[in-house]
Amino acid sequence: MDRRSFLRLCALAGLAPSAVLAASHAQPRMLQMNGYPINAETPLELLTDYLTPAELFFVRSHWLPRMPDPKTWKLTVDGDVAKPLTLTLADLKKLPRAEATCVLQCSGNGRALHNPTLPGVQWRYGAVGNARWSGVRVRTILEAANVKPSAKHLHLFSSDDPPGKVPPFRRSIELEKALADAIVAFEMNGAPLPPQHGAPLRLVVPGWAGDHWMKWLVRISAQPQPQTGFYMDTAYRWPNNVGAPGVAFKPEEMHPVTELFVKSNITTAPASAHVGTPVDIRGFAFSGVPDIAKVELSDDDGATWRAATLDPRHDPYAWRLWSYRWTPKRTGSAMLFVRATDIKGNSQPREAIWNQSGYLYNAWHSATIEVKA
Amino acid sequence: MTFLAFLLAALPTLGTQFKQLPAGKGKAQVEAACYACHSADLLAQQRLTAKQWTATVEKMMKWGAAVQPADKQVVIDYLAKHFGPANKFTPTATKPVGK
Ligand code: HEC
Repeated sequence: MDRRSFLRLCALAGLAPSAVLAASHAQPRMLQMNGYPINAETPLELLTDYLTPAELFFVRSHWLPRMPDPKTWKLTVDGDVAKPLTLTLADLKKLPRAEATCVLQCSGNGRALHNPTLPGVQWRYGAVGNARWSGVRVRTILEAANVKPSAKHLHLFSSDDPPGKVPPFRRSIELEKALADAIVAFEMNGAPLPPQHGAPLRLVVPGWAGDHWMKWLVRISAQPQPQTGFYMDTAYRWPNNVGAPGVAFKPEEMHPVTELFVKSNITTAPASAHVGTPVDIRGFAFSGVPDIAKVELSDDDGATWRAATLDPRHDPYAWRLWSYRWTPKRTGSAMLFVRATDIKGNSQPREAIWNQSGYLYNAWHSATIEVKA
Repeated sequence: MTFLAFLLAALPTLGTQFKQLPAGKGKAQVEAACYACHSADLLAQQRLTAKQWTATVEKMMKWGAAVQPADKQVVIDYLAKHFGPANKFTPTATKPVGK
């Protein structure tokens, strides 16, 4: 943006340009992937808490969002239901409360690490976080609406509206998953859901990639068929039979991305260490299944692995913090690899599976430590 | 409308920093056609071949980017020249979103 349009924008907003610029110098802690619409990832070294603070949580916008007015906002529940509903926030808060502490990861997290390179937001590591989401189970709402047996999918609609001829962001999830553990959340980490995270209400789909977690939700509709449109039929798809890196598939040769892949990252490692002096390495691990079984580290290029200690804090589909005490044995540049295995036995691969949209990157992560005498 | 929507979206954060695109033939056409929906970062972080840029620009034109037919190749050439596969991008550090 050039200076003139910036000044014009400030004038439009009734803002002094100096106020905007001054504010922008405080606490540089997020990594801006795009100025507008806002896409920002968290630096890995800040993802050290069991609950990621809302203000450090990654933000993903497809375009400039049209957020609903919380005062007039309502949730419509319709489709194959005997009793369609319109619920205010107050109505929702009267229903039995539900909570889920789980990982939200953008399906494109790590896109920048895929090779060959791909178009899209070039997320590296930080489009992920773990938060406590509170609201109401989707099951509670659909039972109140008397959902019919013909319904197999839950269509999701938000107040958001795309610019120009961009297709609307509409999604659906299998009703089975929605009934199993999805919730509509109006709180994040015990505080009202912030606007950039979907206020007043967003969907929470434990274990599934962020594209299902519809923000600014205004309508859920029980339907016999999945939703159609660009963001179902073309985007957010995974090849039925993965090919070699660089091989693209037709949409009909792919299916929707749903469950996250098992993954771990190192958040804390010293840049240097001394032979014989132990150092602490820390990180997190999660999967699209409810828990991690083990996290292991290797300092010999994957030939041998040693188990990290898992933090006892856990909820289904939340991440596990882990720590590992490593004692360097020789001088030089050491590379420590980490890999996680989940309770279903899925283990992180050395190389991620390349796919044409760059989803679900989960290769072994590493840290390089300079070891001195 | 776009600009107003932009303001509404950017105001809660105020941490946003506006990047400039590198000078060069085609910059003005890119700015005119692409800034309506997203800022320079989304372009400057890509590492795409000329073929991938052609597909992306065509996708954006289908979605409403106002690229004059006579400017299409200039726009593609500019993007491919500056943001090719060897491009390096460092995201700007900003303050926490919403603070
Ligand atoms: C009418 C709005 C609009 C205009 C104008 C526009 N874009 Fe986009 N662009 C989008 C949307 C929407 C996305 C998808 C954003 C997302 O999903 O993150 C996008 C995404 C992109 C991406 C990321 C790759 C992808 O396919 O998602 C690139 C690169 C891009 N645009 C380049 C351009 C260029 C170059 C121009 C100008 C020639 C342009 N855009 C103009 C709406 C627009």
